[in-house]
Amino acid sequence: MDQREWKAFEEAALEHLEALYGYARSLVRNPTEAEDLVQETYLRGMKAARESTPAGNLKAWLFTILRHLWINHWRRRCQGPDFVPLESVDPAADEPMDWITDERHRPDVILEQQVLRDQIRTAIENLADGFREVIVLRYIEGFSYNQIAQILGCPAGTVMSRLSRARAELRRQLLHQMNESHRRMAP
Amino acid sequence: MTGHVRDQITLYLDDELQGEDRVLFEAHLAGCAGCRAALEEERRLIAAVRQARPLYPVPATLPARLAHALRQAVPAPSATRRRVASLWFALAAVVLLAVVVSVVWRTIRRPVLGPSEIAQVAVDTHQRYVRGQLPLEIQSHSPDEISRWFENKVPFNLKLPRYPEYPGQAKPYELQGARLISFHQEYAAYVSYQLQGRPISLLVTSSTIAHPAGGEIIRWGGLDFHFDALNGWKVLTWTDQGLTYALVSDFEERGQASCIVCHPGPQGRSLVEGLKPQ
Repeated sequence: MDQREWKAFEEAALEHLEALYGYARSLVRNPTEAEDLVQETYLRGMKAARESTPAGNLKAWLFTILRHLWINHWRRRCQGPDFVPLESVDPAADEPMDWITDERHRPDVILEQQVLRDQIRTAIENLADGFREVIVLRYIEGFSYNQIAQILGCPAGTVMSRLSRARAELRRQLLHQMNESHRRMAP
Repeated sequence: MTGHVRDQITLYLDDELQGEDRVLFEAHLAGCAGCRAALEEERRLIAAVRQARPLYPVPATLPARLAHALRQAVPAPSATRRRVASLWFALAAVVLLAVVVSVVWRTIRRPVLGPSEIAQVAVDTHQRYVRGQLPLEIQSHSPDEISRWFENKVPFNLKLPRYPEYPGQAKPYELQGARLISFHQEYAAYVSYQLQGRPISLLVTSSTIAHPAGGEIIRWGGLDFHFDALNGWKVLTWTDQGLTYALVSDFEERGQASCIVCHPGPQGRSLVEGLKPQ
């Protein structure tokens, strides 16, 4: 890769800074660690790109590097990320979405209030790591199921089922938050 | 509702349901009010999550920190590399000059480039609707009702013009209904009309994600209209006040007659004349 190609690659890679930082934060939560993880991702990416230009989607490629670094980081610290058993989520949470059908809880009503955005953020932050990760990759970053499968290193079917449970858990979190909010507002 | 159907709803909204499965699901959706309601609820949840972007703003110091770290990592060019680079630079300058002259010459002669993405998506959507593969999510002849339906579903305000009222005369065109279309992680508004029994599709999206380009450019009323003919359909695309529009029909010439769905009065007649080939 010559200087010109290097510069072009660097510029293209830096366009994904916000997305990579958001993903890093969703994995490590700590802002300083997230910054370190993003910086290391770029340095590793540049090093790898010097050997051969990455084929395919650059953003997905950078996300894959970031995730590998995160896994290695956790392994080095001999700690596992705080995954909860993903199958343990209450299946009843996937029942009809009362928080939406109830007029008070309909997002199109509540969206008018700034509070919903904060509630969504909090609900996403409260998800278990494995769930938060797929919600961020799919609905915040817009990756396809196949791209997510590539980043996570698992079959697309696993992505599909994990996303399904993650959405159910997200609904449950939102309902819980909204009930709490109503309880606090009650006289 | 079975878990299978709920999974299909999610796959559909995530654009992961393709081919025959998609067609079958859309056919089921057209006849199942329960699934349409569930689809709407799921769509609201996804839209609410997307509204929360970005979840974590980048710290102000990070870009500078990264730039510094990357500068340290950039390989310095060797003397040989620099000489080769100079030769390449000279060669590139000559090639660039040739390309610029060629592009300018072609632009002067015939300002026609390929269709934009929004034009292609609009034509594809129109084709699927005409073939019965794209059910409308709301069927109504009322512009007010459809405008209200789009509220909080698309990230912009869309107010469809009312029918002009001419006593004793039939409506010049008829609204059929509307639906949402996925476009660049957002929803675009799709509106279906009929004029003299011929279908017209209008696709509206935010101008930040859709950029009319290419085709034949016609300037009228301070706006640039891009005209393309794709698969036998005529498509006009343009941007106005933060929104990008694509209008598809099979009308004659540039399909300019379809413009009356939004501009039925004297201004519309002037617009239709303005877009007509000279």
